[in-house]
Amino acid sequence: MFKSVIYKEWIKTRWFIILLTLIAILAVGNIFLTVQHNMSFKEASNYWYQILFQNSHYFSYLKFVPLIIALALASSQYIPEITDKRIKLTFHLPLRENRILIMMLAYGTASLLISYSLVFLIFLGLSNQFFAAEIVKLAIISVIPWFLAGFAAYFMAGLIILEAIWKYRIAYFIIAAAFLLLFFETGLAGSYEPINLKLTLITLLSSISLLFSAYRFRKGEM
Amino acid sequence: MNTVIECNNLTHYYGKKMVYEDLNFSVGEGRILGLLGKNGAGKTTTINILHGFLQPRSGEALIFGENSQRLSPHTKSRIGFLLEGHIQYAFMDIHQIEKFYSGFYPDWDSKPYWELMSKLKVTARQKISSMSCGQRSQVALGLILAQNPDLLILDDFSMGLDPGYRRLFIDYLRNYSKAGNKTIFATSHIIQDMERLIDDVLIMDYNRVLTQTPVDEFMRTFKQFNFETERSGIDLSKEEFVVNVDTIENNIELYSYDTEDNIRKFLDKKGIAFKNFREVKMGLEDAFIGLTGKY
Repeated sequence: MFKSVIYKEWIKTRWFIILLTLIAILAVGNIFLTVQHNMSFKEASNYWYQILFQNSHYFSYLKFVPLIIALALASSQYIPEITDKRIKLTFHLPLRENRILIMMLAYGTASLLISYSLVFLIFLGLSNQFFAAEIVKLAIISVIPWFLAGFAAYFMAGLIILEAIWKYRIAYFIIAAAFLLLFFETGLAGSYEPINLKLTLITLLSSISLLFSAYRFRKGEM
Repeated sequence: MNTVIECNNLTHYYGKKMVYEDLNFSVGEGRILGLLGKNGAGKTTTINILHGFLQPRSGEALIFGENSQRLSPHTKSRIGFLLEGHIQYAFMDIHQIEKFYSGFYPDWDSKPYWELMSKLKVTARQKISSMSCGQRSQVALGLILAQNPDLLILDDFSMGLDPGYRRLFIDYLRNYSKAGNKTIFATSHIIQDMERLIDDVLIMDYNRVLTQTPVDEFMRTFKQFNFETERSGIDLSKEEFVVNVDTIENNIELYSYDTEDNIRKFLDKKGIAFKNFREVKMGLEDAFIGLTGKY
């Protein structure tokens, strides 16, 4: 049964997740083409100085990439479920409703994890090629909230899309937007270090929020 | 006979608007029951409660003895479910959807599914979303038959289908039910289709059940009589034996469970002169309108 649930999710999302991961990898490639260009034309020492002392973020191009992947994945996964109220078919499958939803959620989270890992590892590998460990460390601390924002956006999008009543959707959207802004505060590279763990915990807490929308649907709020 | 569906004192409101109060009915094993009612009479509400997608304000709906709000996976596997409009996972093709569902049901029998699919003029990789309504209905029906459920709940199964597909759908369903003693609970807007399919009829009006009875018995006992009166303006609607009456000038169309003899005697006793008294043969649709009224 688990294989069947995963099979359905794969059919819905495969092209979105593959295509967007490839685009994200190209975006990382683009970042390092720019880095290489700057290294060549500004001289490495000047460029490093800008990064270390003038708050120049060579990786800022990456800022919304995880968020876009997450929203596309959530849309491709959950919009087909609410179209024509097909989620009724899903709830009628011979499994506990919450179990099916958690399987769907696990699939989405694993897909994001694989996609983000690829993007992150390429980013890390290329960063190490061009920069000293201190700069790379600050970059990692700075991009982690953006990837966490991707996970949080994916979880909140599930809550919003599966909610059947528009006024609730709008309310959830406002709460989600305010919550996600926490991950995108601008500041010095590495400034997120003290709160990355807290953001991770909050993101984990939001992970099962879609169960609430599904519960409301099953009670007749449709 | 075992009871497959049992609704006890089912009550539901949307806000302050009552759908029904204390609705009671049951469906026995192997029976095909058609739920008929006008728009807004509560058919979809009942279907949603049976599926567990709506919590009634009070009362309970039991399926195979389990409350429909908390059906176990095993019981869900015994229920085939057809959504209004033959909705399915339209992003799949016929191979993908068969592979998907077969993973859930240990008794999955793909033979009837592929038998139906062979009749469709669709390509192997054609998405369900690009199929006609009739073709989609066959996919949905094939999946239900392959699941081999003990109970089928069909919400407006004939919606959007042309006569050929409707006939095909009904013939398959009836054969399936009678060959395996399977129970069917169905609603449809096209009552002629129901006449070919169902054993029992449950007719709902706003807030109440008008009748639940075998179709044969209903058609035998519920009658339409037409006659002309000499005087116009005769009001028979308050009489006990009258279920429904339509009067246009001197022409009276009367529906009743009473016999022709008794009605004639009543008219004579009341001194109502009449002529051309005749019983009109009804189909199920006529009887439905006779029972519920045209408005």
